[in-house]
Amino acid sequence: MKEHLGPRREIPVVSYLRYTYPFTAIIGQEKMKLALVLNAINPLAGGVLVRGEKGTAKSTAVRALAALLPEIEVVAGCPCNCDPRDEEWLCPFCQERLAAGNKLKAVTRRVPLVELPVSATEDRVVGSLDFEQAIRHGERRLAPGLLAQASRGIIYVDEINLLDDHLVDILLDAAASGTNVVEREGIKFTHPARFILVGTMNPEEGELRPQLLDRFGLCVPVEGVDDPATRAAITRQREAFDKDPLGFRAGFAAQEEDMRRRLQRARDLLPQVGTPTEVLRLAVDQAMEALVAGHRAEITLVQAARALAAWEGRRGVTTADLERVAELVLCHRRRQPPPPAQQQREKEESKAGDPPELPEDQEPQGDQVDDEVTGRQQPAPEISPEAGQQEHEHRESQEEQSPAGVAGEALFTVGEPFPVRRIEHHRDRVWRKGSGRRSRTRTPVKVGRYVRATLRRERHDLAFDATLRAAAPYQGRRARDGLAVVIEPPDIREKVREKRVGNLLLFLVDASGSMAAQQRMVAAKGAVLSLLLDAYQKRDRVGMVAFRGEQAEILLPPTSSVELAQKCLAELPTGGRTPLAAGLLKAYEVTRAHLLKDPDLTPLVIVVSDGRGNVGLGQGKPWDEVRQVADLIRREERIKVLVVDVEKDGFLAFGLARELAGVLEAGHYQIEALKADTLVRAVRDMQDGGWL
Amino acid sequence: MQASGRHTYPFAAIVGQEALKQALLLNAVNPRLSGVLIRGEKGTAKSTAVRALAALLPEIEVVADCLFNCDPGDVTAMCGRCQQRLQSGTELPRQRRPMRVVELPVSATEDRVVGTLDLEQAIKKGEKHFEPGVLAEANRGILYVDEVNLLDDHVVDVLLDAAAMGVNTVEREGISFTHPAQFILVGTMNPEEGELRPQLLDRFGLCVNIAGVTDPALRVEIVKRRGAFEDDPEGFAALWEGERQRLREKMVAAREILPQVNISDDMLLLIATIAVEMGVDGHRADLVMMQAARASAALEGRLEVTREDIRRTAPLALVHRMRRQPFQDLTLDDRKLDQLLGAKAG
Repeated sequence: MKEHLGPRREIPVVSYLRYTYPFTAIIGQEKMKLALVLNAINPLAGGVLVRGEKGTAKSTAVRALAALLPEIEVVAGCPCNCDPRDEEWLCPFCQERLAAGNKLKAVTRRVPLVELPVSATEDRVVGSLDFEQAIRHGERRLAPGLLAQASRGIIYVDEINLLDDHLVDILLDAAASGTNVVEREGIKFTHPARFILVGTMNPEEGELRPQLLDRFGLCVPVEGVDDPATRAAITRQREAFDKDPLGFRAGFAAQEEDMRRRLQRARDLLPQVGTPTEVLRLAVDQAMEALVAGHRAEITLVQAARALAAWEGRRGVTTADLERVAELVLCHRRRQPPPPAQQQREKEESKAGDPPELPEDQEPQGDQVDDEVTGRQQPAPEISPEAGQQEHEHRESQEEQSPAGVAGEALFTVGEPFPVRRIEHHRDRVWRKGSGRRSRTRTPVKVGRYVRATLRRERHDLAFDATLRAAAPYQGRRARDGLAVVIEPPDIREKVREKRVGNLLLFLVDASGSMAAQQRMVAAKGAVLSLLLDAYQKRDRVGMVAFRGEQAEILLPPTSSVELAQKCLAELPTGGRTPLAAGLLKAYEVTRAHLLKDPDLTPLVIVVSDGRGNVGLGQGKPWDEVRQVADLIRREERIKVLVVDVEKDGFLAFGLARELAGVLEAGHYQIEALKADTLVRAVRDMQDGGWL
Repeated sequence: MQASGRHTYPFAAIVGQEALKQALLLNAVNPRLSGVLIRGEKGTAKSTAVRALAALLPEIEVVADCLFNCDPGDVTAMCGRCQQRLQSGTELPRQRRPMRVVELPVSATEDRVVGTLDLEQAIKKGEKHFEPGVLAEANRGILYVDEVNLLDDHVVDVLLDAAAMGVNTVEREGISFTHPAQFILVGTMNPEEGELRPQLLDRFGLCVNIAGVTDPALRVEIVKRRGAFEDDPEGFAALWEGERQRLREKMVAAREILPQVNISDDMLLLIATIAVEMGVDGHRADLVMMQAARASAALEGRLEVTREDIRRTAPLALVHRMRRQPFQDLTLDDRKLDQLLGAKAG
């Protein structure tokens, strides 16, 4: 055992060499292979995003490509892979050497492939102070980061949609400017960082922000092969590789070499490949047809087409080349056509931006209505579900009046979920706000992904590496009692953590008899389902409270199982009176309890009701109690509320849900207005507002 | 890792739960299956079975002084240091050691999982070193995550990353390091507490849905055995020692012949047809079905995969890979599967 402990501290320094699956052994996935090859020939094609199902050789292909790329010439010892023949793009290290009259020695190396894991921290991406150097020599030197390492090579991000937003921004900035600016820990350093960005993602895990999407020159959707014979061949091939990787690679060595030579020839030919005017014109036409924003699409179209011509050994680009690459360039940039939708969206956004003002001009009914409601609705639920389901449109007014109906309960189907489009736009805003919130948070909870360090001291969450870097340059001057490093209070850095979970959506669903009218319940369930689908992608926690008859009940305690929530929703029966106050109170209790557990949480209560509360908690008038509870909720600032009004406008509408929204200072949405993605956007806006 | 003083309930003494036991055994025989997800209610022997498996696992040969349990015979899956030593002609010190079961607690932080900057070295010597994490420890072993659905999202992302490629890439806290991380990912979860994301589901080679045993006679037997075990763990273990030995030998034998187990083109085609017809995403299901069928054949000492092997193992590979709406239950159309298997027979 002693033996064992000794070498345990022998710390590995060398990363291991990976034996990759040969590119030429990949069966099928021609589009993906083409996109990768085009980029390998012409970096101006702008990178590739591979979107697709699990297990479709996405990562395998990217890694295999890097192994195929021809070697490049770099300045010996340069951390940024500078090209010795390109004096315009030299890093400060090389400039210094050149200025000192030294010659830049060239060596050849393989094209660097840098993999950015989703757990990467900022210091490793941009570069940071080299603390070993600092401690030993008291010198501030840069330990170059991945952006330097990847210069003139490839940065590969697997599951790029899971990468922290902050890091994505850094990648974007560098990719756009071709340079990386390091300004931290007393170091100022700018170096060229031109790289091909290759990302893979599975859209099931959430979408990518549109800005990042647009940065990728090409995009390939991939899916599994459907032909059984081909699938069998793929499986056989993979098995052979897994059994004997070295032998397998040897078997493909000749093919790999052919491919490498062909790539090299294409790269050499590329500068001579010209683009006739008609091809340029077609590129512009295609981009305009796809309603693409900006000019990147045209440029990429042409560059990709040039690469294709070079790949096939031709000196002129044809319109056929352009057409072959068009889908790769345009598929992720295409916009939905109708401009009116755009306007509408803006309108809605501004509306949702200031929810509290909405109800004010509609306030007037007052006590009179309360009395009327309580008096009139006391007896029973209004309408049989069948009637509600079948004749909802033309029986509108009668239904409102009809006091008779089926006592007891009914089970409504779940309405069709709405299409949730354009949500990317919104998610983006939420996420950025999200990180803003995180940096401001004062919670003692040390959970979440460590992204970068900060000088702020709030949580006793020590970022040791950053602290060490801060302390390192001063070690020469400090009294070190046998230690290598002495840390003083000003050196302390804390971790900035990113946590993506944390939203709680609590649905407060009115399941009283009045909801049976006019298919309100069907629509309400549909609305809730749409939100659930969205919550699923965002990995929000969801809970559900329903009220009917005499009381409110927690149907589903907050969980991340959206499946369960959906089951609950499907099984939720309708019938009985409307204990709105009890429902609100229950929702309040549930969210409060969760706020105690996780102060970071921003709960959003979504009230789906017509607002016709007619059962009180105690002796008071039901509506007065509703007001009281609503007031209670309003005063807890962390709880945001959204009222989804299932009542239709008309002369018999009571507008009570609107009034409730007023008391709650909540957003108010009518169910008719909830088609398409309005509701989902409303929730987004509420969450947005919450961060502000 | 198991505390040495603690007694584990013997694998062979677990009543019922055949699918679960089969899935675990298949994984132990063929690590290429890359794990099993056990979905089920509380108190259905999920954790017991996993812990019991550890006692059955065969020994593996490792480089004695390597933190990553590298296989001295496989240069393609070695850490950088072992690769270098091998290339420079150094003899790698060999050692046999049982396969490890590394437990990942739900509260695990990301730095403990992927590895981090070595504090001690930094303070004492002012040097930058990598301190390996759980993924390093689990290389070539079993990574067991109880309640995997409760793991923090970002830890799940990290696991995904490593499990997908068998490699852990660390770029954090001033450290840049890559090492092999090929482990059998065993997770348990109670679906009532939230589902796993599809991407992570797919990383588990096999999946079993388990429910409590409903047969009263069996339930009585469970209670009896459990009681006997708790009264006298040692005596109980001794009682089952013979069975344990038999099972272990069977497994060792199966591991030995596994590389020679052949699968015919017909059988591969059958697997591909099943995958297409059942509508699974991607190609991982094909690979897993093949590896599971091979392991199944090996367990029975056969060198050729039969239709029966596929019939037995395919459900385990398919149930969690079916294309589905976010809200549908994880279920498998057994009738359709039987038809596919039957139709090909004719």
